[in-house]
Amino acid sequence: MVRAVPGWLRIAGYVFVVLTALILLAPLIVVVGVSLSESQFIAFPPNGLSLRWYQEVLSSNAYLNAGWISIQIALMVTLLATLIGGAAAIAIHRRQLPFSDLLATVFLSPLVLPTIIYAIGMLMFWSSVFGPVSPLVLALSHTVIALPYVVRTTLAVLEESDPYLEEAARTMGANRLQRLWFVVVPQCIPGLAAGAFFAFNISFDEAVLSLFLRGPTLTTLPVQIYGQLEFSPDPSVAAVSTIMIALTIVLIFVIDRMLGLTRFASA
Amino acid sequence: MNDRTENLLLALPGILLLGLAFFLPIAQMLMLSISGPDGPTLAHFARFLSDPYYLNILWRTVRLSLLITVICALIGFPLAYIMTKVGPTARLWLVVIVILPLMTSVVVRTFGWMVLLSRSGMIPEILRDMGLVGRSFALMQTEAAIVIGMVQVLLPFMTLSILGVLTRIDGRLEEAARTMGCSFLQTIRTVVLPLALPGIVAGSLLCFTLSASSFVTPNLLGGTRIQVLAASIYKSVTATPDWPFAAAQAVILFVGILLVLVPYIKLTGTRHG
Repeated sequence: MVRAVPGWLRIAGYVFVVLTALILLAPLIVVVGVSLSESQFIAFPPNGLSLRWYQEVLSSNAYLNAGWISIQIALMVTLLATLIGGAAAIAIHRRQLPFSDLLATVFLSPLVLPTIIYAIGMLMFWSSVFGPVSPLVLALSHTVIALPYVVRTTLAVLEESDPYLEEAARTMGANRLQRLWFVVVPQCIPGLAAGAFFAFNISFDEAVLSLFLRGPTLTTLPVQIYGQLEFSPDPSVAAVSTIMIALTIVLIFVIDRMLGLTRFASA
Repeated sequence: MNDRTENLLLALPGILLLGLAFFLPIAQMLMLSISGPDGPTLAHFARFLSDPYYLNILWRTVRLSLLITVICALIGFPLAYIMTKVGPTARLWLVVIVILPLMTSVVVRTFGWMVLLSRSGMIPEILRDMGLVGRSFALMQTEAAIVIGMVQVLLPFMTLSILGVLTRIDGRLEEAARTMGCSFLQTIRTVVLPLALPGIVAGSLLCFTLSASSFVTPNLLGGTRIQVLAASIYKSVTATPDWPFAAAQAVILFVGILLVLVPYIKLTGTRHG
């Protein structure tokens, strides 16, 4: 038998993986480190340990408002994208519309277009037609970029589903709504759930659309952080960022429990 | 109600949303890019393409995006390959290590690099202590900083698209190559790499598109002196404000990306029949 992998290459592999993991995680570790610092200045490794910057964040209206707006918009996007994208995926999957292939391309097209191009279009269109940007407009724009993910995850689940279940329900006398609600939708749930997580995460972290469509009262958390970084960051930015990282970790944990992370990653 | 009406009703909210909040805004932007005080004009494009300052920005964007894409592929392929070969627990951890940064806001990750790369930051300190660079060495506001930051931002995309293809490769192909006398590296080169090519190409296109159009990381790490196209667009929208010129730059960015994407879509389209 041949040796599976030469020894030196195996060692090189270990070193490579450790270094890559370090590069991938370095910025996150640094942010967490800075947030625990005692001093006024951003420094890593931190000088002394304290939670004072978290206190600062929790008593800062700017951060709390931004956080609240971000959560509201992300929830709105999750709901809209899951409903609209799920319904569209079901229609695309059935292939009964004369233009279903085109429809699939149309629904996935926001993936191809760089967000910055879309953001400009959105800013120019809405402010010239409807005036100042409202939270609803920002939520709609986030929904547009989250939609392809929901469509994709739901379609992937539907591809593996049994097409005869709906037929069976029909022969047994279920009407359209019953078939949809009791047969098709339950089969979509893993895809819808994965899509919903994507949608929440995309909206909550999104910075480009939020920057272009921001307003005096419409500042999301990433935009608030970006603004701080451009001017005078103090460790409170790191504390907010750490809270966002913590939220991501919770999200990943929930996804792993509910759907299995390895499967989610290949979606 | 028949089947067609039902399906149309299901797809309708999405069609309306995309029509009103996606295609119409983009059409509006295209119109704006050729609008002048007296009728349609290509003046905004001419202004961009005839000014060495903007051509320099365009060239920098292409150059850095290519470099970032190549580095991502060089790291992403071995990483994805190793992920398919390790046990389930190790693989789960590696997936977490790849996904956690991916799901963290770009703003947060860039902040981390700002701390690491700043003048008194860890990386320049280490390089100075090792005597590799002079006292006045700085990384922030350089192209190197943009590349480091962007590679970290985009590596997960590359790794996951290669991983998706690698997991579908029949493991017995590699075993067959080995029993027929290939060394490990020969197997990688003649069996795994060609089969993984669609994933590498797809990941590269994604990386190139995303890095050519990103501005948060380049703006924060490169500063105002080292501008990329997307940062210049953002400036034309907010600082100057010159919307038609911003729209023209966006169109140039989009056309550039299409020039890269279309051959690929054609290629893969014919391969699937």
